[in-house]
Amino acid sequence: MNFVERSLAEAAGLLTVTVGQDVRCRVDLALSHDVTAPIAIQQFEQIGVDRVFDPAKVVLVIDHIFPAATVQARTSHWIMKDFAAKYGVTLYSKSEGVCHQLISERHRLQPGQILVGADSHTCTAGGYGVIAIPVGSTELAAAMATGTIDLEVPETIEVFMTGELRPYVSGKDIVLSLMRQFGVDGLTDKAVLFTGPGIAQLPVEERMTVCNMGIEMGAMIACFGGEAKEEGVAASIPLDLTQIEPMAACPFSPANVRPVAELGDIAVTQVVVGSCTNGRLNDMEKVVNVLRSHKVHPDVNCLIIPASKQVLDAMEERGWTKILRDAGAVVANPGCGPCFGAHQGLGTERDTIVTTTNRNFPGRMGHRAAKLYLASPATAAESAVVGKITTPGTLQREVG
Amino acid sequence: MDKLQGRVWIFDDNVDTDQILPGYAMAEDASKLAAFAMAGSKVADFAKQVQAGDIIVAGKNFGCGSSREQAPVALKSAGVGMIIANSFARIFRRNSINIGLPVMLADVGAKLQNGEVVSVDLETGEIHTATGVLNGQPLSENVLATIRAGGLINRVRQELNISSGRKS
Repeated sequence: MNFVERSLAEAAGLLTVTVGQDVRCRVDLALSHDVTAPIAIQQFEQIGVDRVFDPAKVVLVIDHIFPAATVQARTSHWIMKDFAAKYGVTLYSKSEGVCHQLISERHRLQPGQILVGADSHTCTAGGYGVIAIPVGSTELAAAMATGTIDLEVPETIEVFMTGELRPYVSGKDIVLSLMRQFGVDGLTDKAVLFTGPGIAQLPVEERMTVCNMGIEMGAMIACFGGEAKEEGVAASIPLDLTQIEPMAACPFSPANVRPVAELGDIAVTQVVVGSCTNGRLNDMEKVVNVLRSHKVHPDVNCLIIPASKQVLDAMEERGWTKILRDAGAVVANPGCGPCFGAHQGLGTERDTIVTTTNRNFPGRMGHRAAKLYLASPATAAESAVVGKITTPGTLQREVG
Repeated sequence: MDKLQGRVWIFDDNVDTDQILPGYAMAEDASKLAAFAMAGSKVADFAKQVQAGDIIVAGKNFGCGSSREQAPVALKSAGVGMIIANSFARIFRRNSINIGLPVMLADVGAKLQNGEVVSVDLETGEIHTATGVLNGQPLSENVLATIRAGGLINRVRQELNISSGRKS
């Protein structure tokens, strides 16, 4: 058995499991947010139990639409507040951050534990070794009632990393390279397990970025294991990190990936840095490194959305928010920002947006014809200054 | 309830959840979601044209993207009777089953016409057209049991009542 199978077996109270086996697993944390929680709450109350399985293991986060952009969004907040008060579960309701970042800071599970989250990017927790299962609202309701989840043991694909990343290349470029290789459904219903000596250079934050986009390849589970090769995987795919260059996913698919250097002259009207994919302190540092000595291009809106209050506090302490604002960027409150197209920076058909988020489907961030390029914070920052999609290192080499 | 009949709507590969139910509509009350069904897709006025029992026939990776259950809820509330596709994204597939909306695997998009009426047997996977029979993958016993119960919530209720004797 590999790490994923060992973890599922342990959570199911079994000594062994095999691929395809149906298992009922213990849930260590159940997570939902203001888009998925209202339906989950409605479904939970349909079940007719009078308590959640363990109030300490149920977390609700208002991150998608805060402050409320519509009356209906605020109604969702109230549904969550009422539920939290009634059942004694934890609610974050004051822009403390994106749920995936927040639980990594305040409710961090151990490697191999089971997280069930009503959000597709629940897989982010795989960055610290958690078996994170993304579900919809009804399945989350069932998990809140029973403390269990029914799963089938997936086939595991190992990505065995070697080599050292080049300067200005980060976790986002790694996962975009994998997107190019696997496509949008290459890992459907599978687990992907990242191992190899190459992972040693990746801090947890970068590992979270890699796992975050596992769902964009269809994966059921994405997580980091150890540096050693795993036993009992369906396939082991080598990945030489030395070969990876700055990448961008072009309109309109996360798998439409090309090296930034090959994109040519593409004028940019908006840059977004943030989200559960790339809104952490290490991401912000890459932007500050550029905007410390350069101004945002006059034709570009540069939106910075820290993934959590803790990230924002650390930025403040370092004087980074002032640097970013003085360079012409806008620092918004922690949360999901415009990533999923509900508020805080939507585009029209005239916009070309470079964003560090995770999806560039048609209409994802406003108008169906708004062109979205997914890229790393380093690429986004230099593109914001130049006003065109720019390979990171271009400006910084000029200065150096 | 294991046999369904309806008009066919053909869609391509990789119809994502932002097309099925756009982000701007996600916070709408469940009762209003039907009006936004497929609003982000190539058939933006789908919700106005769809009739009760209609069947979506798509290519691969239908429902990729977000975990938003509003997507299958919008389709079901708009009247969609079932979805047939070459493949489904995992969360969407489970969400659909969990709310009692049947999904079936079959590679039939190229063999059917938009608007054609077909009848589908969920137990055998047979898709009957005016001129013949196409084959899809029958739904598993477990999935059929959830669909017949009307979704996961009813199944959980059954299980909890059996195990605890609790009446709800």
